[in-house]
Amino acid sequence: MKVEEKLALNKYAPATQAHITVNKGLCADCDLRPCVYGCPADCFILKEDHVSFSYEGCLECGSCRIICPKGALQWAYPQGGFGICLQYG
Amino acid sequence: MEIIVLVKEVLDPDLPPSKFSVDTKNNRVIPPEGIPPVISPYDAVAIEAALRIKEEAGGRITVVSLGNPSAEAVVRKALAMGADAGIVVSDPSFDLEDSYLAAHILTQTIRKIGKYDLILCGRQAVDWDRGVTGPIMAEYLAVPVATLARAIKVSDRSVRVERVLADGHETLEMDLPAIITVSNEFGQARIPSAWGVIKAVKEEIPVWSAKDIGAEDAQNKDNPGEGRLRRLYIPSYERKCEFLTGERPEELAAALVKKIYSRETASP
Amino acid sequence: MTEKFDAIVVGGGPAGCASACVMAKSGLNVLLFERGQYAGAKNMWGGAFFGPQLKELFPNFREEAPVERFVTRHTFSFLTKKGSTTLDFKPAFSGPPSDNGFIVMRAKFDKWLAKKVEQAGAIVVTSMLVDDLLLDGGRVTGVRIGKEEFSSDAVILAEGVNGILAQKAGLCSGVSADNMKQGVKEVIALPKQTIEDRFNVNGSEGAAMEFVGSCTRGVPGGGFLYTNKESLSVGIVVELGALVKNRLKASDLLEEFKEYPDVARLIRGGKTVEYSAHLIPTGGLKMMPKLFSAGVLVAGDAAALVLGTGLILEGANFAMASGVAAAETVITAKKKNDFSETALRDYERLLREGFVLRDMHTFKETPRLLKNTRIYDLYPEVVFEVLENILENDGKPRTKAYKIAGKVIKTRVGFARLLSDLWAMRKMT
Repeated sequence: MKVEEKLALNKYAPATQAHITVNKGLCADCDLRPCVYGCPADCFILKEDHVSFSYEGCLECGSCRIICPKGALQWAYPQGGFGICLQYG
Repeated sequence: MEIIVLVKEVLDPDLPPSKFSVDTKNNRVIPPEGIPPVISPYDAVAIEAALRIKEEAGGRITVVSLGNPSAEAVVRKALAMGADAGIVVSDPSFDLEDSYLAAHILTQTIRKIGKYDLILCGRQAVDWDRGVTGPIMAEYLAVPVATLARAIKVSDRSVRVERVLADGHETLEMDLPAIITVSNEFGQARIPSAWGVIKAVKEEIPVWSAKDIGAEDAQNKDNPGEGRLRRLYIPSYERKCEFLTGERPEELAAALVKKIYSRETASP
Repeated sequence: MTEKFDAIVVGGGPAGCASACVMAKSGLNVLLFERGQYAGAKNMWGGAFFGPQLKELFPNFREEAPVERFVTRHTFSFLTKKGSTTLDFKPAFSGPPSDNGFIVMRAKFDKWLAKKVEQAGAIVVTSMLVDDLLLDGGRVTGVRIGKEEFSSDAVILAEGVNGILAQKAGLCSGVSADNMKQGVKEVIALPKQTIEDRFNVNGSEGAAMEFVGSCTRGVPGGGFLYTNKESLSVGIVVELGALVKNRLKASDLLEEFKEYPDVARLIRGGKTVEYSAHLIPTGGLKMMPKLFSAGVLVAGDAAALVLGTGLILEGANFAMASGVAAAETVITAKKKNDFSETALRDYERLLREGFVLRDMHTFKETPRLLKNTRIYDLYPEVVFEVLENILENDGKPRTKAYKIAGKVIKTRVGFARLLSDLWAMRKMT
């Protein structure tokens, strides 16, 4: 089962504003790209020469905030009431 | 300005399809355990409209929800947004799936409340999407109605409404009291402030039963012919991919036309 | 509005709810903020709560709380590509299962906890993310949400593992990926009867299963499987730093884990209904932030109060106990009307007197020792090979078990290395 198929099973209250922002300039300088491995929701996907990012499927674990070596990531929780809503947990 | 807003609790429209199922025997949706219902999003816009009218013209907003006792939560949310009072109308004898009945019960509720200038509701509830309760109530209460409002401007004894049309909009003017159903084009419903929530937590929300509003006979009321729910099911979609073969484009096009009109691909 | 609260609690998890409950019961005017649509909406874990903390707070929890199953069977498995070795612990019970170990799902359980907080008299406000702390000359005096301000004598930060506010308040300087484990989990629905048949449990009995070995491909961590009423919680917990260093993804490891025969057999025919992830602070004492400062106390995951003994990870009981200790500290401070840093020092004293900081001290070397990757790749294989050689009958004359073990250890590990690992591990569990 693919991660995106799993995410489709979850309930999200979609936020209109991104709670994670990436500084593309700093991000482009990174060759380690730990976010691609550290994100359990595949929010960071390696495209040929850059990392493509989306926040909609975020599980709000906070891993990317810790492992970004470039400080390219601005991470906050989504606005109250938005984002992942677990039914089981 | 006395404003009454009608709100309905519905299954959270953000739920992925996998989270709920249908009891086909009883034609009912089985709500997912643990995920609370929400205020129907159009009704939230109706509350927003009421709040903006109040901010401009002053007045008092009463929120009414017909449904299960759990509807208290959506009424409380409306109070948190800024409404002044809330009422839940609930009785085990009510058949909540019948729009005429719902309109009748709500009309009785309005009569008990007494004074009103404006009744607002969402253009439709997002569960059944019928959008008829407001207009039926207008008939029962013998007041004018405007549906699909995208802008509302009240003056002393009348109201001017911009209605959404398929190809633009039209402007109507009605005498008050009146009923308006509000469309999403009106604007975004505000998010309750934290102080609003704290204030709402302490509010008393009465629950009115059939007896309280004189609707004990509701079930026996004639249903003037609204459609009845026959079968409730989750549609299944199947996708198939097939490559047609042929030498020339003309041949392929002919094969494609044939395929499209064949029984296999025609929709049932 | 100018209403002032005695205490504001940030976060509606076990730490926050326990503290709000205790304070409200003692008559304090308490406000709790939770950022989820409901308490529990953002919370997940492996599955089981070990310890008497819940019973102390809610003596009737057995009847009231949404407990999935009580743990009556606990297994520990070494997984290798060739097979597995399992220790299966099943105390023979007479009467109802012990309530020291029970399995709950956090979205349901935390919602119940928050209900208890409301019943105790506190105000619970959901869907509210606290943006900042209010500061007055280094003293925390309340919180800010957007443009709204809320003042209180004390703020208890039970905001969870990411500790954003604790960092803003300067209580914590940031965390390293080496001190964090990432947990990913699937909830897999299965009929109740199927679960009871497959796991050899009845009624409210349940199984907790831990796996160590090749399932994490050498990354410190392990797999787990817990039985809920009508579903299984299946997941992987891995050290975040090592995970990304090895260019592995937890989501891939979880898929592999589900394919191990030991696991595949148990989840067969199940339907995944939810996928979630969370961080776990596993750095122990060394990553613990400053626990309090004037007007503010930190509890639960935000204070890194999680104990990893190598066998299991415990957090929720530490969270609750720390929440209670923080609450008691605030209650005393309120009596003296002194919320200075010195007055709140009681918090640390209570944690030391109880089990929370004592356990953290007892196991303070464990996080470092658990980084020995031989635990995850080499030793499970050695155990398996020794047993394989002992149990195998190849028609040739047999060798004594200790000789077999000696030979495998000599070729695979080396005695010196085994001894030094064992010597180190004596400090561990």
